[in-house]
Amino acid sequence: MYEDGRPAVLAEGLFKHFTGRDGDVEAVRGVDLRVRSGEIFGFLGPNGAGKSTTVRMLTTLLTITSGRAEVMGVDVARKPDEARRRIGVALQEAGLDPRQTGRELLVLHGRLFGLSPARTAERAEKLLALVELGDAADRVIKGYSGGMQRRLDLAAALVHEPEVLFLDEPTTGLDPASRLTIWEELRRINSHGTTVFLTTQYLEEADQLCDRIAIIDSGRIVREGTPQQLKAELRERRGGDEEPTLDDVFLDATGRTRTRAAGEVQEVTA
Amino acid sequence: MSATIALGRRGLREALRQPDALFMTMFIPLFFLVVNTGQAARIFPSESTGFLKGQGYGAFQLPITLLLAASFGMAALFLVEEIEGGYFDKLRAIPIPRYAIVLGRLVTEGAKGIVLSTVIVLLALPFGITIASGVPGFLLLVLLSALWGIVYAGFMQLIALKTRSAAATNSGGLIFFPLLFLTPNFVPRDLLTEPMEIAATVNPVTYLMEALRSLILDHLDWGKILPGFGVVLALGVLMLFLNVRTIERYD
Repeated sequence: MYEDGRPAVLAEGLFKHFTGRDGDVEAVRGVDLRVRSGEIFGFLGPNGAGKSTTVRMLTTLLTITSGRAEVMGVDVARKPDEARRRIGVALQEAGLDPRQTGRELLVLHGRLFGLSPARTAERAEKLLALVELGDAADRVIKGYSGGMQRRLDLAAALVHEPEVLFLDEPTTGLDPASRLTIWEELRRINSHGTTVFLTTQYLEEADQLCDRIAIIDSGRIVREGTPQQLKAELRERRGGDEEPTLDDVFLDATGRTRTRAAGEVQEVTA
Repeated sequence: MSATIALGRRGLREALRQPDALFMTMFIPLFFLVVNTGQAARIFPSESTGFLKGQGYGAFQLPITLLLAASFGMAALFLVEEIEGGYFDKLRAIPIPRYAIVLGRLVTEGAKGIVLSTVIVLLALPFGITIASGVPGFLLLVLLSALWGIVYAGFMQLIALKTRSAAATNSGGLIFFPLLFLTPNFVPRDLLTEPMEIAATVNPVTYLMEALRSLILDHLDWGKILPGFGVVLALGVLMLFLNVRTIERYD
């Protein structure tokens, strides 16, 4: 929560309906969220649960069918530009312009956010160093590896020093080393006071990084709390001595069963 | 406005990074100029063909070359690539007017159009083509061609925004392309067969082509020039309205 007690991210009764050729789809059905200022908040769920749709509504990219959402006290539907100034967004695909260089992309974003040329150049230099892309700064993005593109995407989301950083599956498809680098960077960013809203399908990632998590399934929040609270609640409910993992919490919350002894979300079936 | 300019400059940087694409944009229209002139020049000798106003047939064909070059813009393809790749959403999450995202690409197309038209006309001069309306006419010729490039690219962007698909955007281009040929591109309108004359008369591109042709063959004939600018203006206003409305409602 920030000084006046309001959360960094607030969603109340958030609904999203899509109308398509195959009829209506209710992607998000009454999501309530309160993300505290300065925390890393994990938003988990199986594929198609409504994670990305929720993030897209919170980041002004999708209209809200009903309900309301605020970022740092700003209503995202009523004052989208003001909300955009306060957030940084890195979506599921590392959405970058492949024909620009890394430095050009950061400078362009800085200018679009209204930073002065000098401030933009300074921010670009600092961020390129932060995400360890200094040597590749003047190469076109098309030649970057997947990990480098993710890191640049993260830098682009930070160029205007947002108060809240939204990351939609930032490590999906990355090798373990690149994933660890992103984790380190997220911790570093968060340590400077930036609230991080992170969607992921890697439960280990949520366990390692997140102060609190929410699990969404079929468009509804089915669990919310710290990883420790959620594990303790499951242990208490199940009884016995075995310490549940976050995988167990996830499976329990989404009504799925484990088909292999160890693994990630993709290895379970409904 | 500053966001539009910043995004326009980005587009120009990218265009300069792909000179081969600019070369191809010029090559095909120049190829048509050479082939069409080579095939029909003997049918329409300059000495005995009144509508050539004393110039060679190449001068009569130059407008279609300019229109073709201006219609080969890459704005819509780059836009749809950004929609599919996710960068479009990244730009939408920045507090800039959303119309700046589409206008930025159009600024680029306008600048490219000026360069391409200038180069094409300059390349045509050594082959005996002259601009009868002089330097003011040359400037108007380049301006009108570039404005057409912006309008055409804008309509292609509209398809990209509506369909969000590269394949559909490419196909959409094929729908508009025949408009360039349902025009008096080989002979003046009064020499066309009746069905073609009707088609050409209702086709707005005809007035654009006639304005360009007038600037090449005649002294400044405002009666032919102004309808060309009028068509570009009217289509431009429609294109801008539809682009802005579509991107504002993009969800």
